[in-house]
Formats: sequence, structure tokens, C-alpha cells
Amino acid sequence: MSTNIVSLNVNPCKMCMPMGAVSALYGVRGCMTILHGSQGCATYIRRHMATHYNEPIDVASSSLTEQGTVFGGEANLLKGLANLIALYHPEVIGVCTTCLAETIGEDTAAIIAKFHEQNADSGVKIIDVSSAGYAGTQNEGFFRALRAVTEQAPHDATPNGKINIVLPMISPADTRWLKKFLLEMGIDAILLPDLSENLDGVTATKYERLKTGGTSIEDVGKMAGAKLTIEFSEFIRGEDSPAVYLNETFGVPYTRLPLPCGVRSIDALIEVLCEQGGVVTDELLRERGRYLDAMVDAHKYTAAARAAVFGDPDFVKATVRLCCENGIVPVLAATGSVCRELRTLEPEIRACADLQMTEDFRVLDDCDFETIEQYCSELGVNLMIGSSDGRRVAAKLGLPLIRCAFPIHDFVGGQRVRTLGFDGSLNLLDQAANAMITRTETTYRAELFDAYHGGAKAAAAEKPLISAEIRTATHPCFGDRACENARIHLPVAPKCNISCNYCVRRFDCPNESRPGVASEVLSPQAAFERYVYYRGKLKNLMVVGIAGPGDALANFGQTKKTLELIRAYDSEVTFCISTNGLLLPLYAAELKSLGVTHVTVTLNAVDVAVGAKIYKYVDYMGTRYAGEAAAAILLANQLAGIKLLADYGIVCKVNCVALKGVNDGHIFEVTKMARELGAFVTNIMPHIPVEGSAFEGLERLNNKEITALRDDCEINIRQMKTCRQCRADAVGTLDNDISATLRSAVSAPQKSKTRRFAVATRSGVLVDLHFGQAEEFYVYDSDGADVRFIEKRKVSQYCNGKEDCGDKESKWTAVLAAVADCNGVLALRIGDSPAEKLRDAGIAAVATYEQVETAIRAAAGERAQTLKGA
Amino acid sequence: MNEKNKLIDKYSAKVYKNRKDHILQLEDLDEAQSIAANTRAIPGVMTARGCCYAGAKGVVVGPLKDVCVITHGPVGCGFYSWGTRRNKARADEDSGGKNFVPYCFSTDMQEPDIVFGGEKKLEKAIEEAVALFSPACIMICSTCPIGLIGDDVQAVARRTEEKYGIKAIGYSCEGYKGVSQSAGHHIANNGLMRYVIGTGDKAPAKKFSVNVLGEYNIGGDGWEQERILKRCGIEVVSMFTGDGSYGALKNAHLAGLNLVMCHRSINYIAEMMKTKYGIDWLKVNFIGVGATCKSLRDIAKYFNDAELTRRVEEVITDELSLIYDDIEYYKSRLTGKTAGIFSGGSRSHHYQVLLRDFGIETIIAGYEFAHRDDYEGREIIPFIKEDADNKNIETITVERDLALYRERYSEAELEALGAELDVDSYDGMIPEMNPGNIVVDDYNHFETDELIRTMKPDIFFSGIKDKYSIQKAGVTSRQMHSYDYSGPYAGFRGAVNFGRDVTMALYTNAWSFVSPPWKNEPMLVGTIGG
Repeated sequence: MSTNIVSLNVNPCKMCMPMGAVSALYGVRGCMTILHGSQGCATYIRRHMATHYNEPIDVASSSLTEQGTVFGGEANLLKGLANLIALYHPEVIGVCTTCLAETIGEDTAAIIAKFHEQNADSGVKIIDVSSAGYAGTQNEGFFRALRAVTEQAPHDATPNGKINIVLPMISPADTRWLKKFLLEMGIDAILLPDLSENLDGVTATKYERLKTGGTSIEDVGKMAGAKLTIEFSEFIRGEDSPAVYLNETFGVPYTRLPLPCGVRSIDALIEVLCEQGGVVTDELLRERGRYLDAMVDAHKYTAAARAAVFGDPDFVKATVRLCCENGIVPVLAATGSVCRELRTLEPEIRACADLQMTEDFRVLDDCDFETIEQYCSELGVNLMIGSSDGRRVAAKLGLPLIRCAFPIHDFVGGQRVRTLGFDGSLNLLDQAANAMITRTETTYRAELFDAYHGGAKAAAAEKPLISAEIRTATHPCFGDRACENARIHLPVAPKCNISCNYCVRRFDCPNESRPGVASEVLSPQAAFERYVYYRGKLKNLMVVGIAGPGDALANFGQTKKTLELIRAYDSEVTFCISTNGLLLPLYAAELKSLGVTHVTVTLNAVDVAVGAKIYKYVDYMGTRYAGEAAAAILLANQLAGIKLLADYGIVCKVNCVALKGVNDGHIFEVTKMARELGAFVTNIMPHIPVEGSAFEGLERLNNKEITALRDDCEINIRQMKTCRQCRADAVGTLDNDISATLRSAVSAPQKSKTRRFAVATRSGVLVDLHFGQAEEFYVYDSDGADVRFIEKRKVSQYCNGKEDCGDKESKWTAVLAAVADCNGVLALRIGDSPAEKLRDAGIAAVATYEQVETAIRAAAGERAQTLKGA
Repeated sequence: MNEKNKLIDKYSAKVYKNRKDHILQLEDLDEAQSIAANTRAIPGVMTARGCCYAGAKGVVVGPLKDVCVITHGPVGCGFYSWGTRRNKARADEDSGGKNFVPYCFSTDMQEPDIVFGGEKKLEKAIEEAVALFSPACIMICSTCPIGLIGDDVQAVARRTEEKYGIKAIGYSCEGYKGVSQSAGHHIANNGLMRYVIGTGDKAPAKKFSVNVLGEYNIGGDGWEQERILKRCGIEVVSMFTGDGSYGALKNAHLAGLNLVMCHRSINYIAEMMKTKYGIDWLKVNFIGVGATCKSLRDIAKYFNDAELTRRVEEVITDELSLIYDDIEYYKSRLTGKTAGIFSGGSRSHHYQVLLRDFGIETIIAGYEFAHRDDYEGREIIPFIKEDADNKNIETITVERDLALYRERYSEAELEALGAELDVDSYDGMIPEMNPGNIVVDDYNHFETDELIRTMKPDIFFSGIKDKYSIQKAGVTSRQMHSYDYSGPYAGFRGAVNFGRDVTMALYTNAWSFVSPPWKNEPMLVGTIGG
């Protein structure tokens, strides 16, 4: 989940340890696994592996029941082992624990010892693997099983001149390639595990229950006598590493290499093998040559790719290296495992990103698909590489997905995926290049047509069914009859390209209602669906607006796609977007052809020196500007952009945030300029101080001051006086944002006179503070239906000097001063004496434990009679 | 030696003793034939059964689209039950425009959470879920470690309700409870009965209305049923739980009649709703052309309305005319074939009827987690012995809800109706089958392999776990849980899909290459000299 969401995993990018352990043991000859725990574990794992490998998967279970959790599972495991041997005659059995066995503290080693005691002649090697589901992911489980097999095999340390190859989870087809490759180079190797046959079988006239492929337990024992271990994992901990064990116990030297994917990694492997006497054949050289040739051929396509690579850490590293070699910027490298070391990929990715003029990228561990989705949109990903679990994100964002890691559940061929060696790398590279070509093929004709011939959409826009005047008149933010018509803001634009000192863009803040805030960001498809949903609900829905939560034009792809989807469905609704204007000259023509008729541009200054005080930085054409340079670029584009809009006949509203002491004296000039450029109306809004923003402490202009300012400017240009400073996901009429009411599923109560309430709340979500503990109050106005947040008041600000407030009596005076203009105070608990004092001051005291908005509605509606002024 | 004895003969004495009562080769007898069911699986024999959590989360509450179902436990169980049931769902008015079915929510517990308890993490996760997704209802499903470390999910649910003013239900459906998924169905349904049904007040708009119980909308089966019922003028108030929603389930008590599809997973609810709200139930089967017609006519008989009866007959005539040609073609290709079906707890019965429509006889049928009444009929229920494992699963007793109880028919009227209609009853699977057929309870991999060898069915319907060993044995396989990404198979249109899929599977060219010709044709054999 995103950084502030830590307890809820939404769409996991990982599985559990037993899954990995079972997979690894499939690479040992004649081995069957029994999971010690509830039978569901075995069933789930069989189901998932069978779907990926398209092979029968046999995993036994000790089928523990409630009785087993109380009295221990020994009897079940002993029975299970006996039955497994009787029915399948395995040579080796892996006993893997599960969450259940580990939580009740089963001593599996002792149970296995007891089994051998009772069945001295079973002749079966039983491997004990500790694999609690909560102790790691399938990746750790895989290596832990390998380590257990290595430790518990019958060791034979006689030097045998062989090389051990320890592998993470790779496909059977890649394993077959590796064996052939080693043979060609003349390397005598022991693979652990060898999944090449058991998980990718052939059809045979007689079906054998026990698989005959894999590395024999005797060969595993011989690993103790090898001359070198090559471990294809650079992230697994020493305690789970077979190479480290063989080194510490038998002195077998080892080297760790990235999986041989991409030319550098393969070369590194060849180099190590050559040191061990391996021979580079002419055929191998030709394969290498062909791969390099293909890299050259593909570069012009792959350079456009911005990939999200996700999966086990070693897979991610191998794939990231291939991507970087080919100019594919892996802007997101993510794993579900906890693996801080994955960050070591950053320098490599940064070098590639710099070359391709890409600013931003992320390397994330402990990551779920909700987070991956978020970054895919933010970082402009156009290609996903990983397991089929990425398909939901891919479908939602319209991205191609190369399925090349476990699990692949929606395609066939998981067992035949090829990514290793020169031909495997080539396979991956070709798929990436073809994905880019497909993307171009499906979009460029329409783009060219639109750019040079106006396009069908532009033609339609030129002959509007509804005149601009009517659209303006029915637009709640432009027309006079504002209140009766509804608009929907679709939050599809998360990114922003400038930083304003009055803004902190947070993902969500339920108690705030102001521009740039949204509960969630939608994909164009989801936004379209939301539109269709509300279209059915709101008869008076006239306008679709895109107002962030970032900047509509900084996310032009999403904005465009959203509007196209809606236009294809509804030819009438008015399109409106809001922007800071930085990219307006670039997109004005396209906005016109999309049928946008109304645009709001936020123009806070027409003087570079004033602008420099308001904007922290501006990102433009790949460079970050600050100070006056930033303000100058922004201003030039805003002015040119507004002029262009006027030329295209697009109705333009200029928003201006009035910042006390910063630009409030300058706003007259702004409105004057707006008129000169051909804007339709200006909207002067008071600044809402936001905690954490640079202007957090800036005092807010009160209503009187704002009204005066608007009156002044009216001689320049028409003034909007109905602005409600909506959220970026607002729905409904200006006075009734039903997005919030639908979110909390509260039916609209009766409206009454507007009253003011002070709420003791920790978070702004719930009334959850004792009155006496409140250091600050959230102040709201409500008429029983609509609840509007006004401001936060710190009690200390109402003290006469700091020392005073330590004193109880003075603090009380300050509290009273802070809530003096309120009709009621809402708190979790209020003592009798303070409640009485409040009542004496004509303020109702309400003790409640509710969501803030619900509580206020209740107080404003039902209890109206008991309150002051009722 | 008959096929049953050949099979169990391969077992050790202990296993033999256990399995002999779970496998039945039907004889030509007048009296009822009984089978052992719903007892513990034998360790190590590769049972197909899942766990209690799978039954509760995977089957019953997972499909509720407006509910944020949080798996409380380490990440595996949540991951494995993510989108694996193919229960299709679409946001609608009842779900408030929400659909969480494509999501997986897990508390992803780590080692310290197991050691120090996971309640705090769960509460934090709920807070995050509420902030991000604003669900109308949250359900917490526990995995194995939860009961052992003492996290109180019911208390967390209560606190959630107080804190956020939404519905929250905590389920103690740890994997080790009971002997199979069946325990989970029971636990989940108890929660729905106790906390959800009866809390809404949106009455059905149509004169005739039903709930469809035990229909999980795999591959769109529920949608086909809803389409047909709507055509007949019957409103579907709620579906348990395919494409279902908390929003719709709340109003289930206002429906006129309950239709029971999957008897195993949901008969408790049907019974309890009868007691508490007075709603009768009919065992229906929309799998099969004849079965669908019979179910529709039974519904019409129950409502006993001339206009409805006329409408049902019209719909049946029209639907049959639309599928006649297709069904006849597939029937011509399939008649005379034999089949085996292993499924969870109801499909093995339902699909026999559909297969018979195409002239296919089912010679092997088995259930993963059925109880004796699913095999032998509900009359056996009073005679089923409770064992330690059943006793651990909570049974709730409900009483007549004086405010909401509405008698549909008086006892006398029901009796009169009973002459031509089986209200509130089910006869089980065995009476459908023929002498010589094999019935297996809690089937396992080994038995599947052996029965294919000895009974030689042409096609075997089972799950993904068996699919590939069946195919490697050279027998056609169709998945009965996910339909191999096809469907729907229910109703009239579904029957055509099914006929097409089975024909395609049996007649695919690949089978002709699987056994190479030189293995099938006898080689020339001769002797030298005299």
C-alpha cells in the first residue's frame, strides 16, 4: 500500500513460504511433500501450481483438525507419512510446516525421528522443512527447502570436480536450457533444484504418479564434494542459502550471480564457467551475436518503454538489468518480499533513466498491487513485466503485460516461459519491442489524423449540438442559474507539474473540502463508469469536470481518454477542465478537438516577482525551475494559453487564490489581464490554510475582505460569487456534494438554518476527544444537510500569552473564546461543570461518539430546538 | 470382484476399514443404500478437500461485492482465495455501485503479529479499508493462527460498528475447524442469518419474488437463472451469494419463496428462514433443460397463480424452440457416452440431469464435502450421528420473528400443495443413479486414478487438481468448478454451452495423436521355420 497505509495489504504481490517449499521439492527426484497443518494449505497450493504448470500436482496434508490443535498433530503426521508411502512409494518426503503447525509449536523433527523408529525399514529419506506461512514469502520458502535438503541429504564430501548450481524458482523450460548450456560448455554440474521434467511432463501411455525427474538425493549429498557453488540469488539470507551452508560446513567455495538474463549477466556466468574449464563454443558465440544484433534492431522501439517489473527479488534484478541494457526504463521495480537490498538497483536504473530523459522511478519492496497500480499511473508506465497477478492493474490502466514469472493463471504455458540465456533474453526483448510496436500501431494513425486533419471529433466539435451560450448558462460554475444544475468532477489526474506554497496534495482527507483533494484516483475506464453511474442518478447533470487532484493537463493522457470515453457515450454533456495553465499552449488545440468548452485556469499573479513568492517550483519539459525563472515560465504559458482558449472560443474562467499579504494587493491587476486576454469571468477565492503547506500559518481572508476584493475587480471583469471550492471528486450541485453523502451512505436530512459547531476530534473523522483534552477544535457550518469545514482553531491562539494557558482558569477562558461564535460544541465526553458553563454562554454541549459529519448533521437537524438561535 | 472392491483392496487394513464405508457401488435394491460422509479426511491420501476458511471466505462471503472481506492472517490464504472461484459480479444499485470482488484484502501477519497478537493490526487495517474504500460492510475471516493466538475478531467487529457506523461481522473460520469446507459454509451462513437477513426493509416490487440460495454465479450461471426468472415475471430479491450483495441480502426475508440450488452449502439458511420468517423453500435445479423446466413449473405450482403458470409455459416453449437445434446436434454426438463427476457438494447431482439430456450416463459420482442427506435425502437427517468435529461448529437456533413472520400458506394448504410438489424437501443424489454406478465420498487422487482405470468413463468432470492426471490417463476432462473459463452452464442457454464444450472436448483432434499409431496397431508377428 502507499506509504501511509501499512496494515492492510490490498491485492498481495506475494504468496507464503509453504508454496515455495513445495515448488522447490518438486525438483528432487522421487520426492513428495506433506504439509503439516490444515488440509486447505495443500489444496490451495495444488490448485495454484496446477493452474500454472498445467500438470498434476500432488501435495499431501496431515489434515489437522481442531483436536490436533489441542493435542498436537503427531498422530496425524505419522498416519499421513505411512499412507503417503503406501500409495506413492516416494524415495524422499519433505515434511513442511504451515502457520498452524508452527503456531502450536509442533516438533516435526521429533515426530520424524519417531516415524523412523517405528518404520526402520521404510527406506525413505524424510526432510524436515520449517516453513511458517508468516515467516516469509514463497521466495524464502523455496530457498529454505533447498537449504533443508542440502543439510539433510546423505553427504559425500569426496571431491568430485562438479559445480553446484543453486537456482531460485525458474521455469522448467529455462531449467532445460540451463542443463543444455552447461553440457555444451563442458561443465559437469549438479542442479538444485531441477524442475525441468517434473513440472513439465510429457503425455505417456501410462501415467506415473511419482515423478521420475529431478536431482536425486544422492546427488544433493555429493554437492558437499563439489569444487564450486554458483548460487543464482543475490538477495537470499545466509541462513537460507545452500551455498553458504556448503561453504561453512564443507569448505565449498561459492559465488553468487544474477540470473543469466541479459548480455552482462550471461557474460558474467560464462566468465565464471570458463575459469572452471568451460569452453565457449562457436554456436554459443553465434547465439550471443544474434542477441546483440536483435538488441540493435529493437532499440528504437524499446527506448519508448517505461516498464514496471514486479516479482521475486532475483527475478526483478535479472529483468531490470535486461531492461536497462535495452533502453527500457524500469521506472518501477517492485517486490512483495521484504528486501531492502533491492535498492541496490537504483544507480543502474538512474543511469538508464537519465539517458532517456525520465526523471522519476521507484524501487519498492514489501509492496502490494494497490501500490504498484498507483505508481504505474504516476510514473507513466507503458509496459508491465511479471506474473499474471498484474493483469488486473494492466486491464485497468490499459497496459500490456508480459507474463514471465510464477504464477501465470490466465494464460497457458507458464511451464515453458523462457527468459534465461541468449535466446530466453531475446524472447523477452522481442515481446517488449512488439508490445511497443503494437501500441504505436494502434494509436498513431488516429493521432496523426487528429493533429493534421482535424479529425472526426474536431469536426463534430465545430458543429456543436448545443451552443456555447447555452452550455455556459447551464454550467453551475459559469452560469447564473448555478444552483439547479449538477456537475461531476472525475479524479483521473493525480500528477501535478508545479508546486504551490498553499497546497499539500494528499491522497485523501475526509474532513477537508477544497480543490485538489480526492478520495481516490480513478483510471479513465473507472471514471467513465462512475460517470455512467451518476448519469443515471442525476437528471440535472450538465457538466463533466476534470479538476485534479493534480493538474488535468499534467495527466493529459488520462484526461483525454476519459473525455473520449464519455463523449462516445454521451454527445451532449459539457466538458470542463481546470488547470494551472503551464501546458495550456501545448494542449489548447487538442482540448478544442476533444470538445472541451469550458476551462478554468488558476492565475495567481501576473508579475514574476509576486509569482516567485507563490510557487515553489515548476517542472517544465524535463527540467525543474524555481524562483523567478519558474514564475516566468508559468506566467508566459498561462497568458499565451488563455489567449489561445479565447481564440478557439473556449469559455475561460480565471481562478485566483487570494493570499493575504502575498498577492491580495495584486489581484486587481490579475483580473485586468484576464479581461484583456479574453477570459469570461474571474473567481477570487480565499486561501484555505492547509497544515503542512508553506502558507500554513498565513491568515485567511475573511468573507468581508473577499467580497470587497470582488467588488473592486468587478469593473474589470465579471465576478463569480458562488464558488464553493469543490473537491476534485465532487458530484452534485454546488450546495450538495453527494459524493460525500453517498460515500457515507447517509440520506439527506432536512435542511434548517445554518449553524456553527466546534468539534473535539483527533483526526477530523470521528468525534473522539474529551472536551477537556482538546487542544484545538475543528469548526464546521451546517444546515442539517450540508456540512462545511470552516477552519481549525488552536486553543492556544486564544490565550493571552503562552504562560497563561498553563493555568486552568485562563485555559478555560481561551477555550470559551475559541468557540464563542458557535451554536454548539461536540465532544466525546463533556464534564457537567464545563457543559453548564457552555450553556451559560448560550452554547449547547453535545456528548457523542460518531463520525464528525453525521454528528453535526444530527446536532444541526434534530436537536435544533435546544440550540442557541433556534 | 466388483470395481469398488478392486479399488479398496489396494489400501492398508486401516485405510480400508475407513474408506469402505465412503465408497458405494449401487445395487439393485428396494431399500435405501447408505454411505458414510462428513467425517475426517485421512492424512496423506491427497484428499481434494479444502478447509473451513475456504468454505467461509472462498465460497460464501467472498462473492458479496459490496463487502470488504478482510482475511485476518498471514498472506497466503488471502492470496490463494483471490479471484479463484470465478464468481462473476457486477456493481449494481443494491451494492451502492461498489464491487470489491476483484480485490484481495489481507492483514498480512508477520512473525511479531503471531507472537504479540494481531488485533491492533486488524483494527488499523479496518481503519485503512474504511478510509480507502468506504464499504457498507466489513467481514473479517480468520485463518489458522488467529484462534490459537487469541485474537477476538468478534470484538473487533463490534468496535468497528461503533466506531464507523457500518456493519461488521467477525468470523472464526480457522482452517482446522470441522472436517472440510462445509464447516465454513455453516459458520458463514450463521453470521448472515444472525446479522444481515431481516435488517432491510426494501420490499420486492413484483407480486412473485424469490431468493436463489446456494447459487454462486460461477461463469454467469446465476445471471442466466435471473434472466429466465425475470422473463417469467418473477423478481429475484437476492442471490446467496453469487453476484450478491450485503445490500440485497438485508431484504431477503421479504421474498415470497426460497429456491435452493446448492443444498449442501445453504440448507441451514432455508430452514432457518422458514422458521423465523415463514418462507417456504423449494429444491430446484437449473442445471439441465428438463430440470430447468421442472423447476420453473414447480415455482408456478407453488405460487398457484393462473397468469404466472401461463407465462411460465410461454417462456418454456419459447426458450426450448430457441435451443432445440443445437441441443439435438450435440445429443447426436454425445449419446451413449459415460461420465464421472467429482465435485463439492451438489453439482455431482445437478450435472447428472444435464448429462442425461444429452444421452450421457453418469457412472461415477462423488462429493468432496457433502453430508449424508446430500446423498440419501433429508429423511436421513434425524439418524445422522453427531461426532466431535460437528459439535465444534456452532449451531444457532432461531425463533419465529413476531414482527417479520408472514405465513405464506397454512399447514393445511401446504399439505394440499404437497400432493404434487415437494416443498421444503430434498431426496438426495443416490436415487438418481443406477445399479453398478459408483458413489464416492471425500474422493482422493488415488481413487480418481484407479476408478478411471476400472470404470473407463469417456469424460470426467472434476477440478483443476485432478484435471491433469485425468488427461494424462488419456481421458477427457472438464473442470466442474471453473468450467475451464467457459459458462454459463445453467438454464437453457447454459445447456447449449455445455453441450458445445463437452462435444469439443471429446472430439478434439489431439486425442487421435496422443497414443501413437505404432502402439495401437498390432505388429506383424510370425514364426520362423516349422
